[in-house]
Amino acid sequence: MSKVESMRGAKILTPRRRDIEAAVAQRSMVTVAAKPGTQALPDIDVEKSLKEAFARGWSVIVWNDPVNLMDYVVYVFKAVLKMNEQDASRHMWEVHQKGKSVVALETRERSELIVHRLRGFGLNATMEQA
Amino acid sequence: MTCEQIDLGHWRLSFTEPEAGFLIAVMARLGKQYQEDVVRMPPSLRAYWQGTITRGGVADKDDLKESQEVLAEARTELRAERLVLVETWMREFELTEERNPWKVEISSAERDEFVAMLNDRRMLVALELGITEEDMEADLGRISNEARRAGVLEIDVLGHFILVMLGPQIYRP
Repeated sequence: MSKVESMRGAKILTPRRRDIEAAVAQRSMVTVAAKPGTQALPDIDVEKSLKEAFARGWSVIVWNDPVNLMDYVVYVFKAVLKMNEQDASRHMWEVHQKGKSVVALETRERSELIVHRLRGFGLNATMEQA
Repeated sequence: MTCEQIDLGHWRLSFTEPEAGFLIAVMARLGKQYQEDVVRMPPSLRAYWQGTITRGGVADKDDLKESQEVLAEARTELRAERLVLVETWMREFELTEERNPWKVEISSAERDEFVAMLNDRRMLVALELGITEEDMEADLGRISNEARRAGVLEIDVLGHFILVMLGPQIYRP
């Protein structure tokens, strides 16, 4: 039996992609401040949160194409967008029947990453400012 | 072709000799496509390898250029990464003594990449030959153009490989 050892961990994060992914990871971090005997509350910078909420004006659109398999599209939505099977299937059917589906509404940076990942799986994804 | 889960995060693929031969031929073509300069590609393929960022349906706004460049750059890097994987698959096939069946063990991350590469090839064949939904739904025997018929067949076989890799996915209420 042949084993593709060298393929393990072969995913290369180049500097540019590292920057993008690090920026996204940082944006999603929420610190928790806990004092003894009190309930821990999220330490959220309200102003920053508001800015981010308003910045979520970029929609990620997936377009229909004649080649991608329905099962494959569901699989990609689950893998990339962390959708459950029901939501992933719903969006897949929307793409199939209506020609497109808005699968995410995010900040510009986060949308760039999602589009990149969806296109990495061969889906015809674009982003558009809402 | 079969695909079985060995344990959490690991998979064993098994190919008959003809399937393995087909797969390696596909990998060889993919390798060439990953190396090809995007600038020299026909518009349909260039569009596939570059993302589109628009506002109100317009892509050429100055403030979107940076995002467009980031996306195009990331896509170029992805091709380089996948080329490495293609070369690894081909080297493994060359080195293996038992090819009927040819068995390969991969991780879940490698499975994702492998499925995405097979899908790359499906998309690229379709774009190169201008294969339409009509072609995809047509009886193979009714497609008169030989190249298109071969293209649809390749897309179908690769689709079968992908479905074997994924198992049932669609939620049906």
